[in-house]
Amino acid sequence: MSTTEEMLGVSQEARAASWKEAKDRSIQKEALGISLLHLLLVGMSLAFMLPFLWMVLTSLKELSEIGLPEWMPKAFQWGNYAEVFNVIPFGRFYWNSLFVATWVTFLQVFTSSLAAFSFSRLNWPGRDKCFLLYLSTMMLPGLVVMIPNYQIMITLGWVDSFLGLIVPASFSAFGTFMLRQFMMTIPTSLDEAAEIDGASKWRLYWDVILPLARPGLITLTIFTFMGNYQSFFWPLVMLKSINKYTLPIGLLYFDSSRGQTTHLLMAGVTMSVLPMVVLFIIMQKHMVKGIQMGAVKG
Amino acid sequence: MRSKKITNLLAGVGFLTPNILGFLTFTTLPLLFSMVLAFSNWDLTLHNMFHPEESIQFVGFKNFIRLFQERDFWRFLGNTLFLMMGAPVAIAGSLFAAILLNKDLKGKKSGAFKILLPGAILLASCLLLTLVGLGAAAVVILIAGIGGITLISGILFGQTVYRVLFYLPNFTSGVAVYLLWKKLYSPQTGPINAVLAPLLAALGKAVNQLPPWVMGGLILLCALLMVWIVNHILRSLANHWRDGEIGHCALGIGAFFTLLPIYFVATWSPLGIMKIGIPAAAAIVAGIQAVRVGAGREFHCATWSRVGTAFTLAMAALVPTFILLGFAVVFHNLPAMAAAAEGLTPPDWLASYQWAKPAIMIMGLWGAIGSNNMLLYLAGLSNIPPELEEAADIDGASPFQKFWHVVWPQLAPITFFIVVMTVIGGLQGGFEMARTMTQGGPAGSTTTLSYFIYNEGFATGRLGYSSAISWMLFAMVFTVTMINWKFGSKYVND
Repeated sequence: MSTTEEMLGVSQEARAASWKEAKDRSIQKEALGISLLHLLLVGMSLAFMLPFLWMVLTSLKELSEIGLPEWMPKAFQWGNYAEVFNVIPFGRFYWNSLFVATWVTFLQVFTSSLAAFSFSRLNWPGRDKCFLLYLSTMMLPGLVVMIPNYQIMITLGWVDSFLGLIVPASFSAFGTFMLRQFMMTIPTSLDEAAEIDGASKWRLYWDVILPLARPGLITLTIFTFMGNYQSFFWPLVMLKSINKYTLPIGLLYFDSSRGQTTHLLMAGVTMSVLPMVVLFIIMQKHMVKGIQMGAVKG
Repeated sequence: MRSKKITNLLAGVGFLTPNILGFLTFTTLPLLFSMVLAFSNWDLTLHNMFHPEESIQFVGFKNFIRLFQERDFWRFLGNTLFLMMGAPVAIAGSLFAAILLNKDLKGKKSGAFKILLPGAILLASCLLLTLVGLGAAAVVILIAGIGGITLISGILFGQTVYRVLFYLPNFTSGVAVYLLWKKLYSPQTGPINAVLAPLLAALGKAVNQLPPWVMGGLILLCALLMVWIVNHILRSLANHWRDGEIGHCALGIGAFFTLLPIYFVATWSPLGIMKIGIPAAAAIVAGIQAVRVGAGREFHCATWSRVGTAFTLAMAALVPTFILLGFAVVFHNLPAMAAAAEGLTPPDWLASYQWAKPAIMIMGLWGAIGSNNMLLYLAGLSNIPPELEEAADIDGASPFQKFWHVVWPQLAPITFFIVVMTVIGGLQGGFEMARTMTQGGPAGSTTTLSYFIYNEGFATGRLGYSSAISWMLFAMVFTVTMINWKFGSKYVND
């Protein structure tokens, strides 16, 4: 206890009380600031969610309620969702999208990880120059190669087939770049240890690097899958027969053929958006990291 | 030793083979093919099995000459650039969202957490009970309920909840969401106009009763603010120049972008007398700063150095001045529109020549605020050393000063990267929206370069011409990338 305070006659209890009061007041002030911040954030979140809310509510309406200013349906018509599968081959579209996206994702992650392994863990002459060449193609607008690629598809006879959707999309400079960045962070001492143990390069790739690169692989898997699930331009020009349509093309066809049945269209839209929402919520940590890593270091 | 080198090369190339093969077949080969196509007259309406006598010929630069002479090309390029003008606002929104999300939302540091959670539950339940008691519409109660749940989970889990909700529009954007917006925008049955119509009618009545000087005063206020902002930025630029922090070119580029909105005022805004007044005031301001620049400085500065600094300064001016300009134009037009027989009515959005582009921009804004840009800014904000902000706090800096002198300069490399990526994406963008929402219409008002290429190549079948357009697009993207390499890397390394 200091002598000055004794002289001033301030007791220890009084000092403690005033200190606690000051602390409480600062906490209250802080809490007020944070609550205002939260209210602002909730307001913004609602603004982002409102279109989705309208989408879901409209998908549950009856045909006669379409276009009424009232957002709420009189009774929830869950049957609309089943009806979508009757009016268009929606299950087929779902399956096509899933099939194509799964194959593309698998092949792209595989080829990209092989190339990334070569660019990051193996020392061969001309490696970095070759990598730069790869990188430079990332800025090439996809539109430039669309027309010639379509001609190639005609030559190969792959127009209106899943092969034509899957194979060209299975090679990606972006994926290679992302995985290479990731593999660069794995310590090289592991390679040396593997070499001393007499492991082949393939063993090194398969048993050492791939398991360690798992977070990167997961991120690339999600990106590729989502990107392909939503891909529009290439399927639009490639697919001719309805039973081969993927979801985006199928929805477009739905809109142009039965766009007046807004409630059914919205049910279809909801069903095509829902998997993405679920996947995103489950995987968001991986994705946020991937985006921040891929772009900040690039 | 030599054999090891060869094994290494074999292994390296071996692992690369699958990717290289695909790369050669689906990128390199088409690239060469496309280059050849761009100089040919291949047209599927001419060269097909019904016209065996026609043959494909090389026409030199004819496609490109035709492109430069075609008015539509310039119009569609204009559309593409116009749609990109929403980007600065979207980037500012991303930054704003990131700054909010980067704060201590749980109150863990200060111990405010134990007050926050009960407070939120109390607030949410009181709000719900009041609404139910008042007999509010079911949807209002639903929205309030969702808001309450968001608030409580936001306090429990902090940043993550809002980050997910902000990012969802961007993540789900695609054909499905464009179809959703097409329905939202529907003039007769869409919810947007259902909400807007009564609001606008009331606004129109209110405007009619205002004395005429109110609108004039508001326009004047906007004008003064615009000139003040321009002056502020030009003064910063001049100060940077005098301190030897930026070079000649940086000064020029910065001044150009800062004065860009003024140019718009002078050329196409319908602002009446302000059309002369604002540019005149800006000219006086610019003149004063030019004199200060001309007064010289002590340090020498390399000519091209720090273009990024000047550019981010100018960007900070562009956003508010364009918004103010927009407000001024609205204030100018409002009285006449409100006085019309039908009063103020909501626009036809996608079906209207004037409103189709703004409609697409609004939708873009909805999806672009919580985008990758926000995540990048979040990463950038968490990388700012806390000492910098603490030092600013000790110096007694206001929040605005802290933002302007500490946060914004620290984020400049990220901003530059985002702007470059946005421009590159914007030049190639707009196809999906045009195809799903408007078919490029009405009257080509939403046709972008990418939709133009699609139309020429896949709908009309003029493969040669379409390739030529795509190479023009490539040239533009290439230029922007080169600018990024020249200034971006230098700037990021500082």
